[in-house]
Amino acid sequence: MALDNVSLKIASGEVFGLLGPNGAGKSTILKIMVGILRPTTGTIRLGEHDIVTDPEKAKKLIGYLPENPSLYTGLTTLEFLQFVGKIRGVADDLLDQKISDSLKSFGLEEKRNSLVGSLSKGMKQKVALIATSLHSPSVLVLDEPLTALDPKTRVSVKDWIGNQTKRGVTTILSTHDLDVAQTHAGRIAIIDHGKIVAVGDVESLRRLANTASDARLEDVFLRLTEEKGEEPARH
Amino acid sequence: MRYWVKGRFTKGAILGLVVGEAFSVVFILFGSSTYLSFSNRVGLSTGLSEVALSILLALFLVGLIQSGFNGSGLPVSSSDVDYVFTSPVPPREVFAAKVLLNSLTTVLFGFPPILVLYLRFSAYYHTPWPAALLAGLVTLIFLVIGLLLSADITLSLGHGLGERKKLWRNIFIVLVMVLSLLPITLLIPGIPSGIGEVARVLPNGLAAAVSVGLVSGTTGGLAYLADVSLLFAWLGGVLILGVRMSRQHFYDLLEVSVPGGEKFDKPNQVSRLDPRGKSIWSIVRLKEKILISRTREARAQFISAVFLSGFMIIYALSGSFSSSPTSFLFILFIIGSFGSGTASRWIEKERLWILKSSPVSMRRYVKEVYRARGAPLLLYLVPVIVAVGVPLVLGELSQPSLLLGVILALPGALEIASITMAGGMFFASKYGQSSTDDILSSQQQELADIRRFLFQTIINLVMVSPVILLVFVSETLVTILGSGYLPILAIGLVTVSIAFTVLSINFLLNKAGDAVSKREDL
Repeated sequence: MALDNVSLKIASGEVFGLLGPNGAGKSTILKIMVGILRPTTGTIRLGEHDIVTDPEKAKKLIGYLPENPSLYTGLTTLEFLQFVGKIRGVADDLLDQKISDSLKSFGLEEKRNSLVGSLSKGMKQKVALIATSLHSPSVLVLDEPLTALDPKTRVSVKDWIGNQTKRGVTTILSTHDLDVAQTHAGRIAIIDHGKIVAVGDVESLRRLANTASDARLEDVFLRLTEEKGEEPARH
Repeated sequence: MRYWVKGRFTKGAILGLVVGEAFSVVFILFGSSTYLSFSNRVGLSTGLSEVALSILLALFLVGLIQSGFNGSGLPVSSSDVDYVFTSPVPPREVFAAKVLLNSLTTVLFGFPPILVLYLRFSAYYHTPWPAALLAGLVTLIFLVIGLLLSADITLSLGHGLGERKKLWRNIFIVLVMVLSLLPITLLIPGIPSGIGEVARVLPNGLAAAVSVGLVSGTTGGLAYLADVSLLFAWLGGVLILGVRMSRQHFYDLLEVSVPGGEKFDKPNQVSRLDPRGKSIWSIVRLKEKILISRTREARAQFISAVFLSGFMIIYALSGSFSSSPTSFLFILFIIGSFGSGTASRWIEKERLWILKSSPVSMRRYVKEVYRARGAPLLLYLVPVIVAVGVPLVLGELSQPSLLLGVILALPGALEIASITMAGGMFFASKYGQSSTDDILSSQQQELADIRRFLFQTIINLVMVSPVILLVFVSETLVTILGSGYLPILAIGLVTVSIAFTVLSINFLLNKAGDAVSKREDL
């Protein structure tokens, strides 16, 4: 069983972090949220739409970025973004402007006619992020957006996440980067072996873990994942 | 090789082998009737026809060559790239091991039915069973030559060649295409004898001569020894060619289906996907066309079309079409199965995380991809069928019972190609590897490929068999009802055949869309 009795409620505009060791079930939760995996029991609702019974309406609200996103290497950057924008319902008169603005903000204007296959990993990640947000989703689901990126690109991506959250986009973020989680996430869920071990803001997690009030999130995380309680504590 | 093989022999693989052997026996039954048809055509009324066997083997070679052009001649996974190619293993050893691995599968699948076939012939000629065993081994050597040639073709399609080598590569490709279709021209009455002489020294001709000699007990003599030597010379030649090509820049020569693994000659292009004023679905089709044109798929598609067209024209000129349209359709199915690679490989190029997180219907998406990938091939075949069909129909006007078969077989060719492509897309959706393989390990993917090949061929054959059966019973229907009913029968049966095809394609593509929806990998 990949997940066991996972139940979460995320408010509109909230930035919600998912932390857990490798294999804990973070990616599985995110894939279920965006409709790639079907839950064996339970429901997932985005607003008033159920992702299982009403997937097309629910998916209009979502922008999803998987871990290691693969792109159409045979398309140019512009073609790729045009294609994604079109299938996600971005209006024709808005699409070109959005693409231009996004490429400019990520410093990729010179790469608009370059084949995606010729881009570096960092550039591809930026293109994938642009594709995720072209249709102005109200919910962003980001799976390890900073993994294996160079420091400069990590800064760009962190800034982008920050800008999205400032705009009030609900963001669900799975990450190993505790600094990102601590900086951006209002609440964090810690997952281990498919179960939610603890949920809450950093302060409440510190209390749950019985650590000092200035304890690093890393220490809180380690303490909580060592202790496997019956019921997840929620704040 | 031990580790590559290790994952294959699970219960599932053994079951697959058993099913495959059963399928092979059925295939031999169809193949033997086609062989007899060829034997009658080339004028020998008794016994085995060496030329007929040569033509049959040539058809197998065409299939393997098409696989080579589709890039399947030397399949390389991302795990090979990451772990094998970064190890101090000489590329020529990797080449040899990969071909040996494919040969192992071919031997396991191919040898039993081939041996059964030769044992039957040997019984007819009262020659000892070791002769049949040797004849079977000779045919297997021919199949290994085909696999090596397929691997060489895939190696030759790499992007890393210099301009001078590209010229030699293009000459090599044209030569392979011409020589692979040459033996089939022997079916045409009045063909110059020189062509027969050339076909005689090709691998299929030599394998047929040596095998038939063994089972018919006519071995011996210098000419026979020369045939055996030349066959082994072909084996050595294609092996040396492959080893030579894989000696340097092995990785650069191969297109590896991992993100960023493909090489493009020109990293900067003119962007062609303008979505303004277009529907989502026309953009999906345009995206496919752009991807096909920028990768090797356009060339593979063209070569499939050339093979199918060439075969149709030769078969029509041979006069065998009218007397045995079902054999024509069956052979077309075999060639088409190898050539449906363009449609079958759609999943490798797809990025499921984009589709599955987008508000699009997967069933509709798959259908639009089918339109984009299948339509060019079908449109290319339509004028060929018209060019071939008009003289055939006019030639059979005085024979109503044969005429109906011809009338049904002509659109039947397109129908079989269409259904085979849709079947290929379905099985790719269910079993094919998508853009990342962290869900499917490399060995599991190999197993999935074996299952997929077996199921795909069997299910495709089941799906197209009503089309073939309709042609098969047409002569009987005209005989029973009378030639006066020919127009009604022709219109009615063609309509039924087309309706069946449309329903089958719709069914297969819906299944493909559902299979993609259920996949949990990206």
